[in-house]
Amino acid sequence: MTQINPEEFIVTDFAVREHRSLWGDAWRRLISSNTARLGMFVVILFISSATLSHFFWEYEPKKDLDYSLKLKAPNLTVTEEIPSIHPFGTDKLGRDIFRRVVHGGWNSLRVGIVAVGISLIFGGVIGLLTGFYETITMTTVERITLFGISGFLLGSLSAWIANQPLQLVGFTLLGLVAGYFEGFWAGQLKRVVFFSVLGILISAVPALFAGSSVALVCGVLGLLTGIFLALALDGRFFSNVMMRIMDMILSFPGYLLAIAIVAFLGPGLGKGMIAIGVVGIPVYARLTRSAVLSVVNKEYILAAQSVGESHGRIIFRHITPNILSPIIVQTTMGLANAILSAAALGFLGLGAIPPEPEWGAMLGDSYRYLTSGAWWAVLFPGLAIMLSVLGFNLLGDGLRDALDPKLRT
Amino acid sequence: MKHLLEVKNLETRFYMQDGVVKAVNNVSYTMDRGEILGVVGESGCGKSVHALSMMQLIPYPPGKITNGEVWLDGQDLLTLSEEEMQKVRGREIAMIFQDPMTSLNPVYTVGFQIMEALLLHNNMSRREARDRAGELLELVGIPGAKDRLDDYPHQFSGGMRQRAMIAMGLSCEPKLLIADEPTTALDVTIQAQIIDLVKKLQDELGMAIMWITHDLGVVAELAHTINVMYAGSIVETGKIHNIYKDTKHPYTIGLLGSLPRLDDAPGTELVSIPGLPPDLLALPEGCPFAARCVYRIDKCLAEKPPLVEINGKDHAVACWRWEEIAGMGSR
Repeated sequence: MTQINPEEFIVTDFAVREHRSLWGDAWRRLISSNTARLGMFVVILFISSATLSHFFWEYEPKKDLDYSLKLKAPNLTVTEEIPSIHPFGTDKLGRDIFRRVVHGGWNSLRVGIVAVGISLIFGGVIGLLTGFYETITMTTVERITLFGISGFLLGSLSAWIANQPLQLVGFTLLGLVAGYFEGFWAGQLKRVVFFSVLGILISAVPALFAGSSVALVCGVLGLLTGIFLALALDGRFFSNVMMRIMDMILSFPGYLLAIAIVAFLGPGLGKGMIAIGVVGIPVYARLTRSAVLSVVNKEYILAAQSVGESHGRIIFRHITPNILSPIIVQTTMGLANAILSAAALGFLGLGAIPPEPEWGAMLGDSYRYLTSGAWWAVLFPGLAIMLSVLGFNLLGDGLRDALDPKLRT
Repeated sequence: MKHLLEVKNLETRFYMQDGVVKAVNNVSYTMDRGEILGVVGESGCGKSVHALSMMQLIPYPPGKITNGEVWLDGQDLLTLSEEEMQKVRGREIAMIFQDPMTSLNPVYTVGFQIMEALLLHNNMSRREARDRAGELLELVGIPGAKDRLDDYPHQFSGGMRQRAMIAMGLSCEPKLLIADEPTTALDVTIQAQIIDLVKKLQDELGMAIMWITHDLGVVAELAHTINVMYAGSIVETGKIHNIYKDTKHPYTIGLLGSLPRLDDAPGTELVSIPGLPPDLLALPEGCPFAARCVYRIDKCLAEKPPLVEINGKDHAVACWRWEEIAGMGSR
């Protein structure tokens, strides 16, 4: 009988351990989908045309005017009547629509990035903090910061009414003191009375310069602020207050709120961006918060705490990377949404100020000429809006599939 | 000799909407350096919560430590602020958790996570930390440790992840390592390996280990001392031979009786403890175990028995009738 010699067998490492990263995997899944590729193509086309035209194709909207070329249909060859090529035709002021559509892309891109940036940064920070501190005890520094910011924000209202920056300083200090001496008469009526009196003093005394009725209003506000700061703020209370504010913003129809904000700030592309951004904050705040809540109870967060990691480190190193995928998807979709909202504001005359090229404003300028047969003045800006929105949505869908944690092993 | 850990009257409550959950009630015990303590009890009896309370990792709200002292090496942990606790955690007490599948962060490599713990408490360069992480992985018995530092947790098996977790727990050489059901999610062979590993590490490094489990078989192999917990209180505590050979508390007797044994005749039915543990929202006034106890007398329902020392120093039991329950040796 032959003896089996174990050394003759070559034991190979059957588990080939390729160091593929999470994002590498996601990328591979993304480019394997046709619709995602299409979306990506449109998005890249949109971004590159907008950027390149902005930097390399000069356009001065204020000087662009030629009545002799008013409302000409698209032409691809030079004729005697029309000495220049207008692939998309011209509008009511004889401006080349192709040029304005391409340059309008830059404005849409800017709106998208700035508005989504505002929503993402504010909403993301609110979501991260409210989700994290919901159940995790704050350190003294964190508590003082929270109280200081609360004091500042609450104080800003009465400071605005009385036009007294002194109050702002006073309330911030009051908040810092309330946060630092957390245990000082904790939970007792004495504490509430003490901080209320201080609040009234800080608020009403400087307001006396503005008149007695202002001082009265400010006194009441100071009283409320004092009571608020005297209560033991904890993470859950903070997160409840923040989320109720988010609910309030969400309870307005988005466009209506954006229009109201623009009406308040005044028209202009920049103000439009702010309006669209503010309207989007609660969406990102809720999304981030729910993602944080689903991660924060995982054992690796407890494990990170139990080796003594600080809260900031846990938030940025352990939580943020684990919640990125839904936020990336939402951001991509949000870009489409922001472009659409900006166009809507522009159409209503609340966004970009003419003659600035902006797709929505171009539509708003030209739809009246549709009855006289000038379809091109409406079609091309409309098509630009549709295609860019479609592109971002397709890309967002693809990203969602690629980053879906359920598909991950 | 001064104790390493002294827990006095620890009390943890959860303030829920439907009332106060009395999760840990008046728990007191001591641990010495290099001791392995087994904390045993069925699920929901407050074993994990009491350990998390010691580390001040109770979710607050709703959880709150309402009373007690936890003296670790001369300082009362419960009086420390969150900042000070962050320095204690990892360096003085470390904890490893039940589910190795979720206790490592999926987006970082295993090596990175061990290095992070090292860099946090030690003044060392990344290079040194990496070397040390490799040594630690080797110490816990991961083959080819140095090459596996760059692996992600999903490339590790369950047992390997638990080993990696133990390496993380050991990284700063804590005085006390709390192991919260570290073998529950693993199969029996891996369980045995992990137990051997912990025994070996304990011999080499000499730290104290608190082993939380519901498995009396596991602690029998491992522990020097055992705390039996029921409904948030310690009902019996003592050196291992006292608990297994001279069982006094009816609950412990029931627990030991419910274990299957290899020398049981085929067909022998397992003994189960009748009833369910009491609702922690509404703990009875008397002995928490009274409702399920066959030795119950009226006094049990009226008054909660204190933990009294019996037979000298190494055994204590919280039962009014311990003298009558004459030392049930485990069958």
